[in-house]
Amino acid sequence: MSNAAAQQAEEQELVVDLIKADQVIDKYIDLPGNLMPVLQGVQDAYGYVPRIVADHVAERLNVYPSQIYGVLTFYAQFHLKPRGRFIIRVCVGTACHVQGAQRIKETFFNLLGIGHTETSADLRFTFEEVACLGACGMAPLAMVNDDTYGKMTVQKVDEIVAKYSALPLD
Amino acid sequence: MVNLTIDGKQVTAPKDATIYDAAKLNGIKIPILCHDKKLKPFGACRMCLVEVEQMKGRQIPACTTPVTEGMIIQTATPEIVKARELVLELLLLNHPLDCPVCDKAGDCDLQNLTYDYKVDSNRFTDLKFQHEIDYNNPLIERDMNRCVLCGKCVRICDEIVGYGALTFIDRGIETKIGCEFEDGLNCEFCGSCISVCPVGSLLARPFKHKARFWALTKHESVCGYCGTGCRLTLGVKDNKVLTTIYDENQGFHKGQLCVRGRFGYQFINSKKRLTTPLIKKNGRLIESTWDEALDLVAGRLNRGNSVAALAAPRLTNEELALFKKLLVENVGTKNFDHAAGYAHAALTEGFSRSFGATASSASILDIQKSDLLLVIKTDSYETHPVVGFEVNMAVKNKGVKLSIISDKRGKLSKLPHAQTLVHRPGSEVAVLNAIAWTLLDEKLVAGSASLIAGYADLEKSLSGFSAEAVAAQCGISAADIKKLASEYAAAEKALIIFPAGQAYSGHNADLATAAANLAFLTGKYDKEGCGVLCLSEKNNSQGAVDMGFFAQDGGLNGLQILDSCAEGTVKTLFIAGENPLTSYPNRSKVKAALEAVEFLIVSELFLTETAAMADVVLPVCSFAEKDGTFTSTDRRVQYFKQAIRKSVLIKTDYEVFSSLIARLGGVAPATPAVLFSEIADKTAGYQGMTHVSLLKEGAFAAAVTTPKFIVPQAAAPFTAETGKLSLVTGSALYHNGTLSQYGEGPMHVCPENYVELSRTDAALYKIAEGDLVTVSSSSGSLQLKAKITPRMPAGVVFSPYHFSDAPINTIWSGAPVTSVTVSK
Repeated sequence: MSNAAAQQAEEQELVVDLIKADQVIDKYIDLPGNLMPVLQGVQDAYGYVPRIVADHVAERLNVYPSQIYGVLTFYAQFHLKPRGRFIIRVCVGTACHVQGAQRIKETFFNLLGIGHTETSADLRFTFEEVACLGACGMAPLAMVNDDTYGKMTVQKVDEIVAKYSALPLD
Repeated sequence: MVNLTIDGKQVTAPKDATIYDAAKLNGIKIPILCHDKKLKPFGACRMCLVEVEQMKGRQIPACTTPVTEGMIIQTATPEIVKARELVLELLLLNHPLDCPVCDKAGDCDLQNLTYDYKVDSNRFTDLKFQHEIDYNNPLIERDMNRCVLCGKCVRICDEIVGYGALTFIDRGIETKIGCEFEDGLNCEFCGSCISVCPVGSLLARPFKHKARFWALTKHESVCGYCGTGCRLTLGVKDNKVLTTIYDENQGFHKGQLCVRGRFGYQFINSKKRLTTPLIKKNGRLIESTWDEALDLVAGRLNRGNSVAALAAPRLTNEELALFKKLLVENVGTKNFDHAAGYAHAALTEGFSRSFGATASSASILDIQKSDLLLVIKTDSYETHPVVGFEVNMAVKNKGVKLSIISDKRGKLSKLPHAQTLVHRPGSEVAVLNAIAWTLLDEKLVAGSASLIAGYADLEKSLSGFSAEAVAAQCGISAADIKKLASEYAAAEKALIIFPAGQAYSGHNADLATAAANLAFLTGKYDKEGCGVLCLSEKNNSQGAVDMGFFAQDGGLNGLQILDSCAEGTVKTLFIAGENPLTSYPNRSKVKAALEAVEFLIVSELFLTETAAMADVVLPVCSFAEKDGTFTSTDRRVQYFKQAIRKSVLIKTDYEVFSSLIARLGGVAPATPAVLFSEIADKTAGYQGMTHVSLLKEGAFAAAVTTPKFIVPQAAAPFTAETGKLSLVTGSALYHNGTLSQYGEGPMHVCPENYVELSRTDAALYKIAEGDLVTVSSSSGSLQLKAKITPRMPAGVVFSPYHFSDAPINTIWSGAPVTSVTVSK
């Protein structure tokens, strides 16, 4: 399937799927200042904010599509591209840095072939460097979704990748 | 008023003024880059930093800080100058210094400030921006490399235009201005963003590299498209109108323009302009001389009642008055009309019966002073975009309530808290009557109403228009009608607005009287922010009415004239600037009439399809090549002067009519100014006006009103034939009449006719966006591109009427609603 065809197929699928967006919008429609909770809600529902959903939110909330895009790009919490099932966050803050975060980061990169904010083709992993996860005593630190891994080593990276590669995607 | 000290000078300023306003008011200049008096204070650029003693000498922005009593302000201490220089240095760090090729040079705030503050070096180094320039649309170039992030474009598009095309994308050092998902700009193309851009980030592409700003001479004029009466500044070089120049102090609209006004000027210097008179010989139009042409025309005009005339309400008041003089005094006919006769019946018949005056009882200035706007048809935005800006500002800035009665939704429906009652097409009058009935039924009527003539008759006649009965017929709920009625009654001030024009045949005398009845019942007329405003279609529609250039005293009206041409009783037809073949209903009938008439004279700028059928074609001037007055829809009479010399072989309509009067043995007033003094003497409300007195802002011709209740005739509810859709026609935002087809700007963004339909109908008939579909009515069929929009209700389709290539009058015979089929 060509890229364009894949994208089209994805959008076709989403046409049906706007129901999820509508459920979120219905919940907040009468709330003043509802744009943020709606965008957060649709991102939870889809894993990211697809354009077609952003346009739908614009139409239903009567907000300019441009304004929605402005909000989506202002906050780091919003994602405009599909994200992996497992979000790997490696801390590169000061404490982790002096404890060798660079090597941890590079090892993930070598194993997964994805860099900062990138997502693997099978949508399994998304990799992110973060400035501080707030647990400097455990440096160097990594997180996969909500699981925390302290005192990271290169070998632990192998184990983590192997563990999450074996888990089902759904 | 508060007292304060600025730079050692004791001054006073209004309580709600900012430091910047106070300084400006007292002749003290504080530099600004992101501030615009039309927009809300923003405080982004830090150029206007000042020191306030009470704030411990901190540097604070003058444009966002309100004045307080006793403030002591310094605007130009060495520290402040240093701070401003720093701001400029930082801006110039990323801004490319490509002024030699930038069209903004000479009119650029950043350039001027850099010059004023002598910033000739930079202590910092950084890379210039590397943004891709947006060339995706033909009218507005967006070069974000030059952007200083003042946000004026973002704000004007929201605060005044209400479109919201632009936004701040990303944040911090990455911030830039753009559209959703980094798309190219695809908006209304009014160019308001260009007008306020302080640098060369947003530029008019049609003007790109046409002339340096300082090489242009500026000529104040009045826009020649719709009836809003916006003032224009034309930028002229080498006797050509090359652009329109923004002037924030111009007119009630403060220099705001729509796409037609800003980008539609190219027709003035179009290569398609007629340059010499043409005479039909052996079936072909052959170039001729003025003498031959005028002799021939004069010879055919000397025939009394068998002569008829149609004039475009784009001619000046003086030309229309002189044309009328020629027809009445020298030709001896009463058969003359403008705009198909019915287009302004709301004024000539409706308002004249209800108000006793052929004019609206409110002005555009009332919009922002009202408490509630009742707009009939969302098309009011498309027909008069700058009036739409006023509505937007009223709703957003002044909290004015907006209620819309319309056969479709539209841009106005999207304004905050706007409520739109979408009714079945063609039932406007019934809905207004139901509101009137509710006012009576719920005793919401003002005490003074029963004293107005016709009250008892109206009360009796409305018995069939209960909210419930009308709601059932019109597809809206009785509760909504009642709610609207009580809101209208409860508002201290309320204004009713509706558009009129050749495409709005349903907006007739009955609609005008039905609207007037509401104003009378609640006492909302003859007061600020109240009344009924009819938005007349062309730049001088109201003028044509004021000059009496319409069928009166037994004269034939526009459509009757065409019928009489077909029957043979009218033998000579003089058409001045109208293009009935495209703009009048029922094309085959118009064509037959124009073919049947013995002698057809057309004076025009272009060889339109109507002119091509003529026996004599007379090339005449555009508004930029002549002097005269136009009267706007709210009766502001404005004088404009010639901006460019006309080419040798064309004449103004005034000169044409003068020559013909002379040939018929009469005497015409020597100049438009002389004739205008006659007009001023005998036209109600024009007394005392002269060209000179109208020079700056024009003047309102007051209308004296005598209210009277008139019983409006509501058309029976329209139901499309089974399996068919209801076609309504109207105006497209980018166009006005058929003239805008010769303006390159409008044609760049809206080049062809289309049919707009709902998603439901698109799905039902399996039609996709852009499909070529066949739209057929009982009178013909037409191939149009499909446009699928959420604003159309199911069962209703819309198509505008401006286009000669796919004229809607092939399938539209003038009825407000037409049954059509749509198929692929």
